[in-house]
Amino acid sequence: MDSQINRRNFFKGSALLAGSAGLLVGANGTAYASGEPIPIGQAAPLTDFAAADGVEFRNGLILACEEINALGGVLGRPLEPYFEDTKQMGDATNVQAVQRLIDRYAVHAVINGYNLGSGSAVQDVIADAGIIYMHNDTSRGHGALVESDPQRYFGSFQTDPAEIWYGTGLLKFLKSLEDDRSFSRPNNKMAIILSAGTYASNIANTVRDGAAEFGWDVSLYETVNVPISEWGPTLAKIRQDPPAVIVVTHYFPADLAQFMIQFMNNPTPSLVYMQYGPSVKSFRDIAGEAANGVVFSTVIGALQDEIGLEFERHYKERFGADAGHNSGMQSYNGAWIWATAAALAGGSGEPGNDAQNRKVADRIRSLIFRGVGGTTRFTPAGQDVYSYPGGVDDPSLGMPHQFLQIQDYTREPDLIAPWPYGKAAFKLPPWMNG
Amino acid sequence: MDTILQILASGLTLGAMYAISTAGLALVFGAMNMLNMSHGAILALGGYLSYFAVGGMGLPAPVGVVFAVLVCAAVGVLIYQIVARPMLRSANFETRIFIATIGVGVILESIILETFGPQPKPQPVSMPGSLTLAGVHLPYQNLMILGIAMLLMAALGFALQKTRIGRAIRATAQNRDAAQLMGVPIGYVYALVLAISGGLAAVSGITISSLSSLLPNMGADPMLKAFIICVVAGLGSLPGSVMAALFIGVLEAIVQYVFGVRFSFALLLILVIIVLIGRPQGVFGRVQGVRL
Repeated sequence: MDSQINRRNFFKGSALLAGSAGLLVGANGTAYASGEPIPIGQAAPLTDFAAADGVEFRNGLILACEEINALGGVLGRPLEPYFEDTKQMGDATNVQAVQRLIDRYAVHAVINGYNLGSGSAVQDVIADAGIIYMHNDTSRGHGALVESDPQRYFGSFQTDPAEIWYGTGLLKFLKSLEDDRSFSRPNNKMAIILSAGTYASNIANTVRDGAAEFGWDVSLYETVNVPISEWGPTLAKIRQDPPAVIVVTHYFPADLAQFMIQFMNNPTPSLVYMQYGPSVKSFRDIAGEAANGVVFSTVIGALQDEIGLEFERHYKERFGADAGHNSGMQSYNGAWIWATAAALAGGSGEPGNDAQNRKVADRIRSLIFRGVGGTTRFTPAGQDVYSYPGGVDDPSLGMPHQFLQIQDYTREPDLIAPWPYGKAAFKLPPWMNG
Repeated sequence: MDTILQILASGLTLGAMYAISTAGLALVFGAMNMLNMSHGAILALGGYLSYFAVGGMGLPAPVGVVFAVLVCAAVGVLIYQIVARPMLRSANFETRIFIATIGVGVILESIILETFGPQPKPQPVSMPGSLTLAGVHLPYQNLMILGIAMLLMAALGFALQKTRIGRAIRATAQNRDAAQLMGVPIGYVYALVLAISGGLAAVSGITISSLSSLLPNMGADPMLKAFIICVVAGLGSLPGSVMAALFIGVLEAIVQYVFGVRFSFALLLILVIIVLIGRPQGVFGRVQGVRL
């Protein structure tokens, strides 16, 4: 009876049901989650420097399990999540954490947010166990690995686009600002600041390599150590030769906030673009007013539409007003895709049952899933997600590369692109308004 | 000219932050031959306690700082009583305490994580605004850090050289058994040294987080830099550590500007290798004798 009440409440309350969750409901029929639980796992950075995101990945999976279980689980079997800590997220730690999930709990699937490292190490443990892996490492290494041996890596899926789309997306975004005269460059100079590491480097390299095509000269290409709190020498270089655009591909929110605080002491007339970090609330908490005007983007995040806002409300109601729903949605989205596919495939498989899990993987590959972050549709070769508008020009066929701007640091950032998801217009940052 | 001043200001700020975090580490090693690997975690604890007192309880900033210093000093005393004292006379004390304090650091960091959560937080003890001098913008916060560092180092130097307890600390550092025979209460001295080190770590945590943010693992990087500076200066050499900290801060800023930020840490490590080859006891260290 309780299940019925929960299910009814869920039907009334969730905007997600307007979208792809209906598939799961259809597959489950009238089943209630009362059968033998299905163990699923997550290996996330629950401690150390990325713990702020790791805790949200855990929250996202918990919320997804609660909702999926309220709808009957997977064909009547409730989901039971288990977690392992990946700390600093080196390949060895990530692999050991996933191996423990398989050995101790016999998980049918591992549903992660991101882990740093190469982005192509965990897939081997998954392949050996014959289970499903959904992750957001945002790495082109994933696609390359899966393409190298599709039979072996049948179960590994990256539920967002590769990081390289950040670069091409940014150059196109800047062009669109110039085309509609929201921004005009005072010169052709572009400063690129990155941190050491594959992720930030790949994004920076893509911007650097594509810059000339869009008429940009890269005047500064500076790699910084992390964490970094004293930006004086880097800012001195920027002030000596002010660029039209400053692109920061380093992503730690606290470091980026300090960049803005120190930049605003004596700003140059440059558009400041960052990636990922400003989407975390603590960036605005730390930077305060200095955050106003910053443009940033993410290839995965909750949209500010009916489904996305409903998710945000529900998430914050469950985990507190300061909870980071944009990080939590990563594992949330992955869990929903896997559960839907598993239900459609007739159930999931334990480690060693790769025959059943291949059916689940086939369903995942064929799904076009409309979740809280837009469309998830997998590339057939690399099993990562199409990016819109960088990879496809139809918003219903790719995950939107969202550009946001902090226009008032006391509230959530405004989604300014891409069409048709944008909710606000770009505003020239306060330091460029004279 | 503007750029040179800007680099110098950045370097001195870095050096001042390094000096505060290094002083506590050098003091404990100088007095006790104890490499306190929980120093970084105590530093983070200090930052969070200030956040709790000022941001959470609404206390004035100076009260919050004093609160953080006192609690971290008490943590230092606890480390002595619970961890260091029982193994003080054991064989291989230096190795045992090294490993034991790693454990203490992990426990402290976990407590911070569970209490305050993993999200970065702003340090409420800060001084907004900047001073424009010869075309260079000098944030008040940086000037405050430099001032605090100078004041603390001068006070510590005076206390060690000119006060009775300072002489007791130096005597204990020189020869523990001889000091004890002369009536120096070495247990009290050790507890005091760890208390001072804890208090310095708190100030260090507050200043560093005012220029970055509060994170449970925020002490790891300053701890590493402090260790490098200690090795360059000579483990246990307090005045040498302060001088080395300021020198390395300025050098790091120059390298970051001239060669690029990515080369600065590598250069520090090269410096350590050169010093260890040329002067294994450190630039200011002595093979034997009084360290403090």
